[in-house]
Amino acid sequence: MATQPVDAQLRKTGIGVVGDVPWGTHFFMFYETKEDLLDTLVPYFKAGLETGELCLWLVSDPLTEEEARNALRKAVPEFERYVADRSIEILAGRRFYVSGDDLDLQKAIRTWAEKTDFALTRGYAGLRVSASTAWLERKDWNAFCDYENEVNNSIGAWRMTALCSYPLAGSTAAEILDVTRTHQFAIARRNKSWEVVETSELKQAKSEIKRLNDELERRVIERTQQLTALNEEMRQEMIERQRAEEALQEAQAELVRVTRALDMGELAATIAHEVNQPLTAIVTNGNFCLRRLEGVTPNLDELQAAITEIVNDGARASAVTSRIRGLLMKGAPRRTELDVNRIIQDVSILLRKELTRGDVSVRTDLAPDLPRVAGDPVQLQQVLINLIMNALEAMRFSTEQPRKLLIRSAKSTDGVLVQVHDSGPGIEPGLSTRIFEPFFTTKAEGIGMGLSISHSIIESHGGQLSLVPSPQGALFEFILPVAMND
Amino acid sequence: MTEPGSIVFVVDDDPSVRRAIKRLVESVGLHVELFGSAAEFMNSSHPDLVSCLVLDIRLPGISGLDFQRDLAKSKNEIPTIFITAHGDIPMTVRAMKGGAVEFLTKPFRDQDLLDAIQVGLERDRSRRQRQAETAMLRQRLESLTPREREVLPLVVSGLLNKQVAAEIGTTEATVKVHRSQLMKKMGADSLPDLVRMAEKIGVTGSKR
Repeated sequence: MATQPVDAQLRKTGIGVVGDVPWGTHFFMFYETKEDLLDTLVPYFKAGLETGELCLWLVSDPLTEEEARNALRKAVPEFERYVADRSIEILAGRRFYVSGDDLDLQKAIRTWAEKTDFALTRGYAGLRVSASTAWLERKDWNAFCDYENEVNNSIGAWRMTALCSYPLAGSTAAEILDVTRTHQFAIARRNKSWEVVETSELKQAKSEIKRLNDELERRVIERTQQLTALNEEMRQEMIERQRAEEALQEAQAELVRVTRALDMGELAATIAHEVNQPLTAIVTNGNFCLRRLEGVTPNLDELQAAITEIVNDGARASAVTSRIRGLLMKGAPRRTELDVNRIIQDVSILLRKELTRGDVSVRTDLAPDLPRVAGDPVQLQQVLINLIMNALEAMRFSTEQPRKLLIRSAKSTDGVLVQVHDSGPGIEPGLSTRIFEPFFTTKAEGIGMGLSISHSIIESHGGQLSLVPSPQGALFEFILPVAMND
Repeated sequence: MTEPGSIVFVVDDDPSVRRAIKRLVESVGLHVELFGSAAEFMNSSHPDLVSCLVLDIRLPGISGLDFQRDLAKSKNEIPTIFITAHGDIPMTVRAMKGGAVEFLTKPFRDQDLLDAIQVGLERDRSRRQRQAETAMLRQRLESLTPREREVLPLVVSGLLNKQVAAEIGTTEATVKVHRSQLMKKMGADSLPDLVRMAEKIGVTGSKR
């Protein structure tokens, strides 16, 4: 059987109530009068001709070929041209189905296939057929039903639409059922207007389609909801990430601030400048005075002016030093209850980049459930940063590999113990007390303030910062007393 | 020790330091002018005298080091002595590379500052002399005829009159005349004298 891929393109039936149908539509109508036939079939073929289909109209009683032709001629403006190029054939139905005296329905099936092929070869969109069965004899009914059934089963693969007309008068109930069974749907006149009568199969198919559609829609909604949820999740994740980034930036800004505060070079420069300015003036004025006194006749007014300035600048220098002391010991430090482990973690995060750059592997050994201590978190961070940066610098030139840093916290009888232990060259035993003195340094660029200030900070927290003898590297520890409420 | 026609500029943001330096420097007979910032110095007009600059590194606004760089950019070659309350090695290196006469840490020894000022003034004096000499030589160069100017680089590159004549396509006698003319015009007593002068004004001997 010749088959063509059938596309989903819809064809105009020309019958208002039916509308557009896909290729392979096989439907039927019950008619009572000639007018019923003309009423449906004329627009049916008109639509076929005008949409480029090859049309075949098999007529039978009560309609004659002549009447069919005249009716179409009236309805279709270019009808003669269609006839001339054989776009439409109007034949007596019986002649089509009967060879000699016998009904040859296999030939009919073959013909439909061939005609469809022919139509497509000739450039038609497909084949449009209507057949009437008034000529059919009762004895052939069953065979014809089989034929209709076969058409109904095969037509889906063809580019063909078929509208079969059955005379309602004289049809038995069984026959009506047969026809209904062998077609996809029917049109029937009810109260002067045509209606589509759905067969149970079509109903089933339609309900199946509806069910599938509903299912599809449900899945679309479900999928959409999943996607929406996923989207929301991603959006949340982005917000989260953004927050994390902001937090990181804040932490970095905090690090800059803390290290700036700890930038002893900067502090020393400030102190030196502030103190050295008046000292410079004093020394220079003093020298001037000495030079003048060497002269024969010193100008006393000049000397008095210089000495007055010396006195003023001396007072100024003294004011500067007391101001700096005040700066370092800024009144009562802030005291909050805090978790030492948290401070260690914060500082490790802050210094992660420096530690990685220094090729130092850091291990933290933090005791759980430490009691809280009372302190100034920023000051304690500064102490830890100072100890860790010292360790980092000590290990920088160390050939000892790998470079290791251990930060420990533990409970002790006096409070909370924190240790910072590096794998550097360590500190000469003879220096162990001097390292906490102000301006004592072993570093080429150091100014000897870090440990001194750290020592003061821990002391102001009621604790003690000390260097503990260790077989390897330097081990600093401090103990902070437990907060009163804890 | 009085030095007429020279001046020491002091730029320091601390008024009492400024006054003390002025007192000290004036006690050795030098004229001193004081400024509180680099901008103040730049915005005032200075007499065209032998001078040097005593410059604090830490200044409001532009720092002493940056100011030194700006001065160099604007072809102001005033010799500079840096004074600072807190100088580190990189700072010193930068200042000395920038052509500083001396880098003194406050409080400095009075003699160190005065010595540095003397070095600075001496440097400025000889710079000015060099400049005057160069200007004079350029003027003399201007007075040469085109032909003499053509002969000059050949002569200072050590060519014999005969060779010069071949180079510029004339006779040895003519070259001799050009040569004595340009020696006279340039005020050179000898060939080595002329070579030195040519170097100073950037006329290099060219052997083709």
